[in-house]
Amino acid sequence: MAEADEELLERFASHSVDRDNAAHFRGRLNRQLLINRCGDCGRWHHPPKPVCPGCWSTAIEPSEVDGTGEVHLLIRLHQGPPAPGVDYSTPYPVVTVELDEQQGLRFTATVEEGDIAIGQRVELDWIERAGVPVPIFRLAREVSL
Amino acid sequence: MTSDRNPMKNAIAFAGATTTGFERRNTTRSQASWAAEACIDAMRQCDLGPKDVDGLCGSWPPANELQAILGLPEITWFENPPVPFINHVSAAAAAVFAGLCEVALVWHAAYRQPWNTAGSLKDPFRAAAENFPAVAPSPDTVMHAVGYTAWASRYMHEFGATKEDFGLIAINDRSNAARNPAAALTHPLTMQEYLEARMIRWPLCLFDMDVAVDGADAFIVTTAERARDMPLPPVLINAAVHGMVANNEEDQIDGLAHHGQHIVVDSLKAKSDFWIDGADVFFPYDGFSIIALAWIENVGYCGAGEAGEFMRQYWDAESNSVRLNGKVPFNPHGGSLSEGATQGSGHVREAIHQLQGLAGDRQVPGARTALLTPGGFFFNAQGLTLIRD
Ligand SMILES: [Zn+2]
Repeated sequence: MAEADEELLERFASHSVDRDNAAHFRGRLNRQLLINRCGDCGRWHHPPKPVCPGCWSTAIEPSEVDGTGEVHLLIRLHQGPPAPGVDYSTPYPVVTVELDEQQGLRFTATVEEGDIAIGQRVELDWIERAGVPVPIFRLAREVSL
Repeated sequence: MTSDRNPMKNAIAFAGATTTGFERRNTTRSQASWAAEACIDAMRQCDLGPKDVDGLCGSWPPANELQAILGLPEITWFENPPVPFINHVSAAAAAVFAGLCEVALVWHAAYRQPWNTAGSLKDPFRAAAENFPAVAPSPDTVMHAVGYTAWASRYMHEFGATKEDFGLIAINDRSNAARNPAAALTHPLTMQEYLEARMIRWPLCLFDMDVAVDGADAFIVTTAERARDMPLPPVLINAAVHGMVANNEEDQIDGLAHHGQHIVVDSLKAKSDFWIDGADVFFPYDGFSIIALAWIENVGYCGAGEAGEFMRQYWDAESNSVRLNGKVPFNPHGGSLSEGATQGSGHVREAIHQLQGLAGDRQVPGARTALLTPGGFFFNAQGLTLIRD
């Protein structure tokens, strides 16, 4: 059952939830990473937009992705906004991952620390923070050839 | 798509430019007070009284507040575009060119606030003015200022660039700031101090990020014809441009080889009468050190990923700063990293002073042309070429 709009906004108060990205955040509650895909031309885009930037179709379908891809950007926050369970005394890693579904389609989240580096293969997992599931990448367990 | 159409070329001029200077502390003055001081100085510098200004364009305070503060009787055009500062320059120049006003007062007041430094909260007036969100934003993002840190890591990965490459930008700026009485930070910076500086967001440290300050710059923009009747040599706007690409979100840009800066370079080159070989002084924006590295490469001084090596090649030991191709200094005022975080207004004001011969100890001998490239990668890349009349 879909969350009421008010409840969705309350549960994701640390994000800017709006009409265009509400489906993405509803997906998170089910531990599903939903990325917008065009129902007409098939192009993926992120962050969520009301129109397909490729063909201007409004037939946008939030669609689950595999969550696998390659680390494209990597930072480690030595300071940042207060967040439950985040202690910046150990620098907090954030990665932008280029998803396998489409070249240039990227999603940003935290990552399980370790020997993480740009170029590595990762896969998606979920942790719990402040009562909502939060996407987290981990090093891919096996190399798919 | 890039056009060389530029009917405004050399028709609009800066008649004057002033600064209050910048301080890295919570001063006991308001942002409006700093703006007013700079604006009054600019009007006096150009022999203008309250009735002589009919256009207003600035960042903060809003135009209506500034008009009331200065008692300007009749304003026919005003705007408050967002920063960075070429937004204000191009809007004012276009308004004068179109006849919406004839003499525009243009300003930017830098002010230490929670969005640029947590230290501002020690001032109860600044804390009281801030509307904090009830819940802190998530750290799982590279949006906003964090985006430059993310692409700095990519830059190191793609080109094998080192922290030292970034440090050269900071050291160049600091050495230059020592000759600028308006600058907030003037003590020398060594590479060792840079490398040992507090990490803020790896791979960028304290000295890779502009310094939050109080202070203001102000300018008079008018027709070249009118400027020629004023006391100082006019500085002509040869071209002013902006650049942006479709994938402009911080984590979605196509890459280091295609973002707003590339659009600016193509457009500014097409519209201007000179490029780097004809530029006497260069102002690559340095709100983050990575932005300046990218501008040096993207305007064509060297290839992608080569800025560090290029700066080492042209490092002038005596001044402890860079002379691009052995002659051209960049950010001679110390840039945003050392003069202060001016969102580009400091770069524009210094360029005008260099071309008017008013740059004191840091004067580039005989400077007649300036190339300015404010802004970064995502939605604020901008360019400006200036020529002394
Ligand atoms: Zn489409």
